[in-house]
Amino acid sequence: MLNNNVEKPAAGSTQRALQWQQRLYETAGGKEILGCIQCGTCSASCPLTDQMDHAPRELFALVRDAAMEEVLRSNTPWFCVSCYQCMVRCPREIPVTDIMYVLKQMAVESGMAPRAHKMPGLYNIFNRDVARYGKITGSILMGRYGLRHPVDMASKMGTGLQLLKTRRFDFTPQKMVDPRKIAALLKRKSMQIK
Amino acid sequence: MKYGFYPGCSYKSEAGYKESVEAVCRVVGIELRELPDWNCCGATSMISMNAEGAHLLTARVFALACKEGFDAVVTTCNACYTALRKTRKILEADPGLLTDINHQLVAEGLNINLLPKVRHLLEVFYQDVDAAAWTGKAPAGIADITVAAYYGCQLTRPWGDLDHPERPQMLDDFIKRLGYTVIDHSAKTLCCGASHFFPYQEQCRPLIEKIIGEARRKGAHMITTLCPLCQLNLDAGQEIRKGPPMPIPYFTQLAGLALGIPPDTLGLNKLLIPMDILLRKFR
Repeated sequence: MLNNNVEKPAAGSTQRALQWQQRLYETAGGKEILGCIQCGTCSASCPLTDQMDHAPRELFALVRDAAMEEVLRSNTPWFCVSCYQCMVRCPREIPVTDIMYVLKQMAVESGMAPRAHKMPGLYNIFNRDVARYGKITGSILMGRYGLRHPVDMASKMGTGLQLLKTRRFDFTPQKMVDPRKIAALLKRKSMQIK
Repeated sequence: MKYGFYPGCSYKSEAGYKESVEAVCRVVGIELRELPDWNCCGATSMISMNAEGAHLLTARVFALACKEGFDAVVTTCNACYTALRKTRKILEADPGLLTDINHQLVAEGLNINLLPKVRHLLEVFYQDVDAAAWTGKAPAGIADITVAAYYGCQLTRPWGDLDHPERPQMLDDFIKRLGYTVIDHSAKTLCCGASHFFPYQEQCRPLIEKIIGEARRKGAHMITTLCPLCQLNLDAGQEIRKGPPMPIPYFTQLAGLALGIPPDTLGLNKLLIPMDILLRKFR
């Protein structure tokens, strides 16, 4: 019942999928997925589980089946709000939230991150501003996001006006004295994080 | 008492966090020394796309603290708190990685020689400041104000070492110490939607309503927070038509009022849902 949608072996058992699966198992805590008892505590604890195409418990079943394309195309990691509720409750001590971070990184790397989801774009805007200024500014972030999602933005005009009225809306980004230091740090890729 | 201070990006333009932190610290004798030219911690955004980048950002903050000779970094934001602690745990367990990171920081003349502790300002207020410093100055009527303490996610989770991961008590005890009446409730560490609230407002509304509704049912006049994003989401995300608006002051603003600091120096005018009616109880 868990994996009706991965019965087709095509996407599930290719060499590539097994490599992704292996890489996930090699990250810190990744192998704990093998100890998952499918109890569903994670899914029941998640505040946005109703938005996910696979609840976390299901996602772990898919990982074990090496249905990695299904996993990396899933919106599940992108709806993870990093509340860590699943992680403190998991009876098998699976670092669920940390695994979601790795899955997001892998989805970006493989080009499989879901196009329709708004979080990859928001993270990109955020991370680009960090690289550019060394710091982020809430109102600038909102503005940049709004340019891409004008419909969304209309519903936030009220909040924007309130922030203006309470003088909390910054029109210029806060910056480090020398933000190039951060750009230089973020360009380096030599580190190996296990 | 002197501390290395990492304010984080949202501190300055928040609903009176900066104003109230500064005013309260002055009165109770805490000196927060801002780390020079600090950078963003990356929050949950950098680590979602680039793990190496996320650890480098936070490591640089540690290196700045080392350079200034601080053995602890104090934050006022839950996201900064957890992002910093996450890297700290990884570096603590992996000296090879620490060496590697130091190698990259050296270009800027920085180095982590001793990993500084990471602390939330609440912890400093509650544990380091003498309890007596908070009492005796409260305006009459303070006990008539009922407060629900809201911790959010990333203060007590994932490690649960500062306080219980789901039923923490520290903020409750601190607010009680100030003289307010604290009400018990079950939404202390429910998620507010965090950064998802912005692009997925409709999907996150029920999360906000759960928290506000619970505090309202238990008879709270207000909910106090200790994280800029929790504060913004609860303040801006309330559906007013579902009940009377619930003010969301920072714990530092409540501390300021209890210390008899004039409300206009605590940035209370920056709250979206005003506290005016409640402030009248103080006069």
